[in-house]
Amino acid sequence: MRVPWRREESELDRELRYHLETMADGFERDGMTRAAAMRRARREFGGVESIKDACRDEHRWSWLAQIGQDLEFGWRMMRKTPSVSIAAVLTLALGIGATTAKLTLADTLLWRTLPVPAPEQLSEILWFSKDRPEGLNSGSSGSMFRDGTLRVADFFSMAAYRNMRETVKGKARIAGHLYNQRVSISYAGRVSVAEERPVTGNFFTTLGLQPHQGRLLQDSDDAAGAAPVVVLTHRFWASKLGGERTAAGSAMRINNRVYTIAGVLPPAFTGIIPGEATDLYIPIPQSPRMLTADSWYREGEGDARKWIIQLLARREPGVSEDELRAALAAPYAASWAARPKSAEATPQLRISEASRGLGAMRRRFGDPVWTLLGLVTLVLLIACANIANLLLARSVEREKEAALRVSLGCEELRLLRQFFTESLLLACIGGALSVGVAAGLSALMVTLIPGAEALTLAPQTDPRALAGTGVVTLAAAMVFGLYPAWRTARAGVAPALKEGITLSRARWTPARMLVMAQMALGVLLVTAAIVFTTRLNELAGKDAGFERQHVLLFDLRPGEVGYKGDRLQQFWAAAEERLGAMSGVEKAGIAQTRPMLGGGHWDSVHNGDNRAEVAVHHGTPDFLASLGVPLVAGRVARPNETGVIILGQNLARELNAGLGSLVEMNKRKLTVIGIAKTAQYSSMEEEHRVVYLPFSSEQDSGTVLLRTAAPPLALVGPVRETVGALDKSIPLVDIYTMEQQISRTLQRERLFAWLCGSFGVLALVLCAVGLYGLLSHTTARRTGEIGIRMALGATRGRVMQQVLADGLRLAVAGLALGTLLAFWAARVAESQKLLPEGQMPGWTLVAAIAVLGTSAVLAVAGPALRASSVDPIHALRQG
Amino acid sequence: MGKKSDLVQGTLDLLVLKTLALQPAHGYAIAQRILASSRQVLDVQQGSLYPALHRLERKGLVTSEWREGENGRMAKVYSLTKPGARQLREEMDEWSRYIAAIQWVLEA
Repeated sequence: MRVPWRREESELDRELRYHLETMADGFERDGMTRAAAMRRARREFGGVESIKDACRDEHRWSWLAQIGQDLEFGWRMMRKTPSVSIAAVLTLALGIGATTAKLTLADTLLWRTLPVPAPEQLSEILWFSKDRPEGLNSGSSGSMFRDGTLRVADFFSMAAYRNMRETVKGKARIAGHLYNQRVSISYAGRVSVAEERPVTGNFFTTLGLQPHQGRLLQDSDDAAGAAPVVVLTHRFWASKLGGERTAAGSAMRINNRVYTIAGVLPPAFTGIIPGEATDLYIPIPQSPRMLTADSWYREGEGDARKWIIQLLARREPGVSEDELRAALAAPYAASWAARPKSAEATPQLRISEASRGLGAMRRRFGDPVWTLLGLVTLVLLIACANIANLLLARSVEREKEAALRVSLGCEELRLLRQFFTESLLLACIGGALSVGVAAGLSALMVTLIPGAEALTLAPQTDPRALAGTGVVTLAAAMVFGLYPAWRTARAGVAPALKEGITLSRARWTPARMLVMAQMALGVLLVTAAIVFTTRLNELAGKDAGFERQHVLLFDLRPGEVGYKGDRLQQFWAAAEERLGAMSGVEKAGIAQTRPMLGGGHWDSVHNGDNRAEVAVHHGTPDFLASLGVPLVAGRVARPNETGVIILGQNLARELNAGLGSLVEMNKRKLTVIGIAKTAQYSSMEEEHRVVYLPFSSEQDSGTVLLRTAAPPLALVGPVRETVGALDKSIPLVDIYTMEQQISRTLQRERLFAWLCGSFGVLALVLCAVGLYGLLSHTTARRTGEIGIRMALGATRGRVMQQVLADGLRLAVAGLALGTLLAFWAARVAESQKLLPEGQMPGWTLVAAIAVLGTSAVLAVAGPALRASSVDPIHALRQG
Repeated sequence: MGKKSDLVQGTLDLLVLKTLALQPAHGYAIAQRILASSRQVLDVQQGSLYPALHRLERKGLVTSEWREGENGRMAKVYSLTKPGARQLREEMDEWSRYIAAIQWVLEA
């Protein structure tokens, strides 16, 4: 390496050597031997090294040279205590890198605000009630979740949307959208599928988006006879249309109808739900589902009882959410088709903050933002504690060294600088590694997260997250790195120099307290990780009430290619029959709603005075058998039979209804012909009371369920052929096995559990590294003492036992503290509804303690073994 | 050889500059010339010359180059720069005033 101070060094050497040799030449001429002449020259010249030093101090580069010396010395000191240095560097790299990677991911999914101007003005409009708003609502499309005893939903009638939108003009703008649907598209001769979301004409102006190309939507696109247009997301335009400049204005076929591409959305906007994959936006009146004859949505256009639209509001500056809610209450009530039957059944509005987009994630986990932030904080605390205790452990001997150097004439400022440089060196190495760790983990996480392929994620290391975590940990490194120099400067040199070999007993030094605190936090994190992962596994592995293996699901949409009336009925009948007759297929059924997709229709059923809220699912006669829900009693409907109903067993008990009972639903009397085993249908999470009604073959789309003898995916080819033989133009949409379908529903839970789990692992590694670093260092420092003990007759076993006991005492104290912390945290989590009550059984804690305890034993074992192999003579000589 | 005197603090730079004003020289030669021209009174400690030379070089008062010395080895030869010459004049004036002042005090 050629650095300025090195070059001058060698020139200086040559210059001084010339002088010495010339001097010696003179003495040689006086008759001295060469060697004697050189000796005399050196003597008269003065101390060569100190003169070199003095020369160096005169140089322009002297400050740089000193930093070089500091760095070199720092590097030497780091290598002198490798266990501490490696542990510290690892802690920095993992602590900063891993938290950054996770924060980046969490930010992408949970925290990032929508890339629109003033996102804080956006709100989602929801409604809630205790009972189902009977008479007001006869069918809905959207999502509903429970908040305690309340049911909260996001769907409204078109009439409610129009009323509210007109009334609050000046206070807020309200836009609407319907749920995504998969459509088939064809552009320039290429055919593919895309996710389509119908929106109101003011949707993009309400969001405040500017087109990347062409134009976005406008109010006039909402008119009934307006020309059909479509807006593309940038991602779709770039990947499927190759980013054509001339795309705007050209035609695209969607479900066999011609649309004009109006424009392309800006690249930053990926949708209003984090991670969603919408490709196309079409004005509601022109959307395929509205144009389909007899479509349920089309009926919803003019029927105030069908609640189909989701609403988004942008409040004008200065208008609060409460004001908006108050202003919306009257127009909302005015849109109802009837008067509510009771106070409990009266829907009330709820305005929910939507600057980060809409998302069921936050609803399901309370507020995972805070949970994750809490976990990040804990991990960072552990990392800082690690750094602190490692550097403090080393500081004891550094104090002695510092004192020695001060007493030999080293300036205090120079000493501080030395320690500062060392800390900086450590921080830089750790920091540099952490950038690599962050980038690597970010990339790895996307591949590891189950179901991530369905998310549109492009996580890049978030510089803010890196900076944030970096500053905290590096600051800790600097503070604790400087500590020994600061102590020396304050306490003076005498006490530090007096210590020789110390016969130390385990004391409660700050470092030991830190390790203990660390173990305690570790218990908390590992417990959290176990709780959340177990919860996921419980959800995923829970008995859904049906046989989940060997089921293949796919959608057919004959309505989209023009089937209606009798033709449509014939198609459904033929499809069910031919699919059911295929070899390898045991049963084939068709359902109106796809199971495990989280959707459905809700209604209420009466049997006399007994009433219950139910999820309504329509299916063909063989549908229950293909789903794998056995009948407990009775029979399934015959083809084309109406006026009959099958109840879930739990529901039948609740309604006190049996076979032959006449129950009332939606003002129609229905005869109970069968009781089915209790089963989940729309999701794994909530236990629904389910009723099954016959499939209406006027449905323009449906989900086919095939119960197969062989692995379901092996049948995909033959199934395609069978459907193709009926009509080549009808594609199979969303082909999944039931197990895939279930895991897709739990995607977000998975992600969350995965994040928690990985924080737990990180905490575990950091704790082990910290304990190992501290113990191996103290053991190394006590080599002299151990030597004395052994010389005085202590056996190897006894020494080992002592070191083990010392380390484990710390671990156990930490674990005990952690247990208390965990109980307290569980209480908080339950009260914050992050966890259902009783989700933290004792064994979770036991498992966490066992895992941490094991890692503690492993971390302690190394130093203990090393202590027991100390050679007393060698140790005493060194000491 | 008579009695040797230690250098008055801060005068070494002046002596070095003056010596180099006569002709460029390497460190050893400078020491020899100071000794000779002070009639063997001022014995500069040879080593202490170098920090002074490096300091003067950093200030731009002298420059150096490697030249072959009389014994065939490469020597680092220093010479005075223009700012060095100016500095020398100023320091000589300063020194004369200083000496005169001391003289006045001693004779008072």
